[in-house]
Amino acid sequence: MPRRKHRRERVQRRKAGPEGRLDAFRCVGCRLDVPADAPGTVHRNHCPHCLTSLHLDDLTPGDRRAGCRGRMAPLSLTVRPDGEWMLIHHCVSCEALSVNRIAGDDNALALLRIAVRPLRDDRLRAGLRTVT
Amino acid sequence: MSKDVSRSVLSTETFDCVRCGLNVAALAPDGVRRNHCPSCLHSRHVLDREGGRPECGSQMAPISIAVLRNGDWMVVHRCSRCGELTSNPISGDDNQFILMRMAVRPLAQPPFPLEPFGDL
Repeated sequence: MPRRKHRRERVQRRKAGPEGRLDAFRCVGCRLDVPADAPGTVHRNHCPHCLTSLHLDDLTPGDRRAGCRGRMAPLSLTVRPDGEWMLIHHCVSCEALSVNRIAGDDNALALLRIAVRPLRDDRLRAGLRTVT
Repeated sequence: MSKDVSRSVLSTETFDCVRCGLNVAALAPDGVRRNHCPSCLHSRHVLDREGGRPECGSQMAPISIAVLRNGDWMVVHRCSRCGELTSNPISGDDNQFILMRMAVRPLAQPPFPLEPFGDL
């Protein structure tokens, strides 16, 4: 089970952004209709099924300042010091990177496939076999 | 392409790591210019993509390992001051312990139980 420090959790506030947010969007990767409300986060920015995102925000989540609108593919996972997983997206059209929190309803199998991707390298597997 | 890069780097050129202070050769063993310390994998925010935000010169910490389609590992760095993310290829003499620690960290702290995946 995850080792979490039980400290008082800060409530996430919604960042100031343009008014009139959509209440649902269609994923550019798998065409799934996704409601904008996500458990565990106030800014859903990727599809919970295939984890694909769209390059809309620039610096602050929800600012809609990026003029690219390219497709963002999930690249890798990183872990915050408090143990929370963050998903790193890579823009297919402009090569930009962005890091976002995962949501509570994200596809666990898709997340796990990204997490084990560095470890399924054939050269690494051969190296580990020689160590053990 | 790597020949062009190596021509612009003197074989005697060195730099000091911003975090651990190690003096390292700017030329990696594979013949390309390195941009992070091989010992602590920290980098410095100097190069920015064209038209991007101005460089800030601050420390960049390694946060994750990304895998390319051909199986090569990349280190994702995050600037501690402006939050900019960059990805750089690893070089042959990079610290294997830190690379491995970053690769297995998500699996060491999973947000959901991993036991059900054992049945798949």
